[in-house]
Order: sequence, then structure tokens, then C-alpha cells
Amino acid sequence: MPPERLLELDDVQVHFPLREGLVKAVNGVSYHVNKGEVLGIVGESGSGKSITARAIMRLLPKRAVAAGGSIRLRPRTGEEFELSALDRNSRAIRQVRGQHIGMVFQEPMTALSPVHTIGTQIMRTVQLHKGLNRADARARAIDLLAKVQMPRPAEMVDAYPHQLSGGMRQRAMIALAISCDPSLLIADEPTTALDVTTEAQILDLLKELQAELGMAIIFITHNFGVIADIADRVSVMYLGRIVETATVDDIFYAPKHPYTKALLRSIPRLGVDQGRRLPTIPGMVPDPFSVPPGCAFNPRCTYAVPGICDVTTPPAKQFGNQISRCHFAEKLAEEHAHV
Amino acid sequence: MSEIKISDQPAASLTLPDDVLFSVRGLKKYFPIHAGWLKKHVGNVKAIDDVSLDIRKGETFGLVGESGSGKSTVARLMLRAYTLTDGEILFRRTSGEIVDLSRLSDRDMRPLRAEMQMIFQDPYSSLNPRMTLLELVGEPMVIHGNGNQGEIRDRVAELLKVVGLRPEFINRYPHAFSGGQRQRIGIARALALNPSFIAADEAVSALDVSVAAQNINLLQDLQEQFGLTYLFITHDLGMVEHIADRIGVMYLGRLMEVAPTELLFSKPLHPYTEALMAAVPQPDPRGNRTRKRVPLKGEIGNAANPPPGCSFHPRCPYAQAKCATEVPGLRTVADGRQVRCHFAEELSLVGAVA
Repeated sequence: MPPERLLELDDVQVHFPLREGLVKAVNGVSYHVNKGEVLGIVGESGSGKSITARAIMRLLPKRAVAAGGSIRLRPRTGEEFELSALDRNSRAIRQVRGQHIGMVFQEPMTALSPVHTIGTQIMRTVQLHKGLNRADARARAIDLLAKVQMPRPAEMVDAYPHQLSGGMRQRAMIALAISCDPSLLIADEPTTALDVTTEAQILDLLKELQAELGMAIIFITHNFGVIADIADRVSVMYLGRIVETATVDDIFYAPKHPYTKALLRSIPRLGVDQGRRLPTIPGMVPDPFSVPPGCAFNPRCTYAVPGICDVTTPPAKQFGNQISRCHFAEKLAEEHAHV
Repeated sequence: MSEIKISDQPAASLTLPDDVLFSVRGLKKYFPIHAGWLKKHVGNVKAIDDVSLDIRKGETFGLVGESGSGKSTVARLMLRAYTLTDGEILFRRTSGEIVDLSRLSDRDMRPLRAEMQMIFQDPYSSLNPRMTLLELVGEPMVIHGNGNQGEIRDRVAELLKVVGLRPEFINRYPHAFSGGQRQRIGIARALALNPSFIAADEAVSALDVSVAAQNINLLQDLQEQFGLTYLFITHDLGMVEHIADRIGVMYLGRLMEVAPTELLFSKPLHPYTEALMAAVPQPDPRGNRTRKRVPLKGEIGNAANPPPGCSFHPRCPYAQAKCATEVPGLRTVADGRQVRCHFAEELSLVGAVA
């Protein structure tokens, strides 16, 4: 791995053998995260964005099969982990989870223990991974709560999750996730259940923490506004594949995949043609048992050419730092050159 | 249709301006708090406190606000799904007659329900999984006694076509459909009795972007086709700007501001509206970098124990001494806009759209 690299996924496959057939929820996903950057992953439900994150943590559902690919992590400490080779219950992966990768989920109520105070939950983590004694661990927990801007941290350390509001619970969850100074934070829809004013607070908090602690973030969301606000680079997923990866500006102002382009057009934007009809993507996401052959997006794509798009899977084409999996990515690139 | 009796007020006194379909005056809904072993009444959650608004015929009125602001409760009160604590709800029937829904008994309310319908947020929990589309969409017609079996079947098939589902699906169950399609089933069911008014409560919030866009277009087509009036409840400002003609902004059970969409977004008059707009990240990375954004401090207050004075004052960057003591009323200012702020004329607030 190049020296700036923190995490590298190469051709990761996660399959679900179900009675109805084989679902390739993650079908050859490759991406990387550099130290200290925010990689945004966007996609509609069922695109495989969360399952990929769970594959990194080795937290896949029991019936999932990690069918291939490699996932490598090189945290600040310098050692290198081949996560894809680790068993979900191995000592090594548990060390990685607590110490090198933190995770924040959409619904903190289901991720936090309801019968322990948030202080206890943070203390256990730092006692285990940092070897602190009780008093130091408690001081560290209060510190962390202050860091996530929890009001009255010395008091809140003894609060149970149910006593906190949604925004405060998410702050507690973040405090727990960063308690061991991880090199990588995986945030899976962390603001989706929150109100917009709370969402803005949490996004600002994550940005501040990222700058202060120098950690990288994988930020998973379906909200393009949030992605535009927080990400440095963005990967767009569709039906288990990454269709495009680029800097956040290129994704929004010069997309080179028809799916990215169509999605962006279908979001209502403030101050743009009020009352116009929203351009939509025809049809709907096909069910996972019958993913179209060739490019999975071809039946809904306005650029699709029969005989090409419905036959061969498009290769990843590189334009500088932008990667698009479309047979006609050059054509989209030309369109942008004219604008 | 049976005659509606209005108990203690002569029908002649009910009037509405010609273009108004629904008019709510001084609406209040308090949920009692009981505590202790005797379940003594110790206070009220003021879910809705003094809300007044007019919805005009054929328009889309957007209601925005954060969770707990009472926006869904307003819709449920208007449709009499909840009994109100106080206030007046005037509704213009298709026949032209004006009735005060707040005074009707549940029985008298029943024939009116055909004229006002609701679409819900969660298409998974709002459809009975053991009923086929025929039963689901036909149920309102069965209840209101509109037509025999054959007629209902024909009408359901027609409604499915109207919302863009294939009529062959009539005997299938909801589990066979995606979230967006289920939402369409809910829309077909709402249309079954030819209503004049539909309240859509976060109707597209649970859907993926591409599906949400399809359903929003469908709602707009149906409005044109059937002359529907919408109350569109959402927390998504981009969506409401796209679909609504006028917008009401709610905070802690009160309407803070009512304005035509364009004016609200270009020149908000209430500090909360400004803060709400500033908080929404736009799908525009360059714009986000240059936009100044001062996030609101704190969290929405407690409706059981709201702050004195203006309920927004503890979080308001422009608050003055007066705001902590005097409750501002909803007043009409220039351009027929309404705002509940002592200093609306003096503040120069920034909208989301230049």
C-alpha cells in the first residue's frame, strides 16, 4: 500500500445464499481511504453500502458469505492487518474494532446498551484497550463527553441512553467510537434519524473531531446534501457495485456515470425551477435476484446501447482521479467539457 | 347525503372567503399529563397552541418543522383523527356548504370523511399485509356504500391505473411491492372516494431519491387532474420548496411564520425559519463552503414545559429581554405574510435562495 493509504478494499464480494437464489449484495467493490480524509459512500437502499462497511468490520450477518476480495488496514501504529482473513470472533479483529476503527450507527438506541450508563460503556472500552484504571477511565469518559460537546459532561457520564435526546445519544455514540483514538471512523447514516438543526450540529462536530484527531471517516448516507457538506471524495454505489468514484466537486459538477448524473437531477434543489417536473430515473431498482446482465443500470439508462451495455460489464475507466464504470464515460466527459 | 346539524350555532354565521377550502382558527390540542398513583392531572403537553391557518382551494400548503413541532398533529386535528381541545375548523364541502368540523359528532363527521383523506409516511405499516389491493383500495368504497362488488372492482382497477400500477396486480398483497409502489397503493386508497383535500404526512420521506421524485411528480399530476388541495407535511425543505405554493413553519406547537414559498425562501421573517434553512446542507459542495452557517444551539424545548415568552427565544441569536417575557402573536405584516416575532420588521434575515 502507498504510504498515505489507511484502508484498501480490492474486489470485495459478499454473497447471501438464499432460498430464492444467490444475492450478490457486494459484487466486486474496490475503494481506498487515505489517512485523514472523508470518503462519502452514497447509494439507494439495497445498493450494498452498509454491507461493505460491515465487511470491513467483519460484522456481517451470519448467513452472509464473504466470497472473496481483500481488505487491508494500516492504522497509525504502522502494523498492517489483512481484515478479510480475520475470523469475526478472533482476538485480532476485536482489537481492530475497538482500537483502530470506531463505528457510529444510524440508531444509537439500538447500538448502545440500555442497561449501562454511557459512562460505563465508554469506561469499559478504554479500560480494555488502553489499560486505564477505573478513576482514569472515568476521567477519560468525562473528557470524551466534553469533546463531543455534551452539556454538563460530569453529570451526563452517569446518564442512561434513554434519558438522552436523539442528538445527545448520537454524541454519546460518537464519544464511544472515538474513545481509543481510532485511525478510521465508519459512520453509517449517523444523521439520518435526526432533525436538520441537530444534523447540522453533528456534522460540524464530526468535522471538528476529524481535524483535531486526524482520523479518516467513511461516511455512508443516501443524502446528497450531507455528502456535499462533509466528504472529500465520494463513491456512488448501485446494486452492489461502485459505479463512480471522484472528488466531491467532480461528482457534483462533472459526474461521469449516467446513474450519478440522473440521481443528482432528481433531487429538488432550492431556488432551481420551482414547480418544474422533477426529472426521474425510469423504472425502479431491480430486485436482487435478477440483476440485469452487463451494466446493472442499463435498463434504466438513457445512454444505454443494446448489444454493449446489456452484454458486457463495463470496466473501470480512469480520468485523472475520477473512476467511472460506464462504457460511455468518455461521452459524458465530453459533455462536461462543453459546459 | 344526510343533513349536518350544527348544534349551538346557526349555519348562516359560517362564512369563508371564496377561495378558502379549509380554515383553522385558534386550534389547540393539549394532552393531559397524569402522575402519581391517583393519576392526578398535573399539567398539559401543549402539542398545538393557537394555530390559525387558511388553505386555499387547489393549492399545496406546506407545513414544515422539526420532530415534536406538532405538524402531524395539526393534520390529524383537521381531519378529526384527534379531538381538539379548543378552536374552530371550517371546511367547505364539495356541495358548497361550510361546516365547522370541531362541533360535529363522530357520526356526523362520517359522510365528510369521504372528502378529506390522508397519505402516510410509512408504506410498510400503513397497509394491512393480509389484504389484497382490491380490498385495500376498495375498503373506503365498501364502508361508504359506494357501488356493488363489480363496480368497486372496476373502480379499483381504474385507480391503480391512475397511480401508475398495473390493474392486473389487483389480487396481490402489499408485500409483493416496493416502498414506492406501496406509497402509490396508499395514494390510490386516498383517491377512492374522490376527495377534495388530501393531507400527505411525510409522504415521500421514507423513499429513495429517485423513487421520491417519481411519486412527487405523480402527486402533482393528480392535483392537476382532480383539482385536489394538498396539505404537505415534511421536514425536507428542498421537497417543500419544490411542491408547495405557501408554507407554514412550526416550532413547539406554534406557527412561527406563514408565507408564499418564494418569499419564505428568499426573505424569511422569523429567526427560526432562517436557522432552519441555514442548517440544511445543499447538494452543492462549493456553495456549502462559502455559505456562512451558524448552527442553532441547544435543542427543541419541552412541550410540557415550554419556555416563557417566545418559545424559540432560548435558541434565538436575536433574542432580547422582551422575548423572554411576552408571547408574540401571529401578526400579519407586509405582502400578506404572517409572522410570530416581536422584531420581524427590524431584523434583516438571510434566506436559502438569493
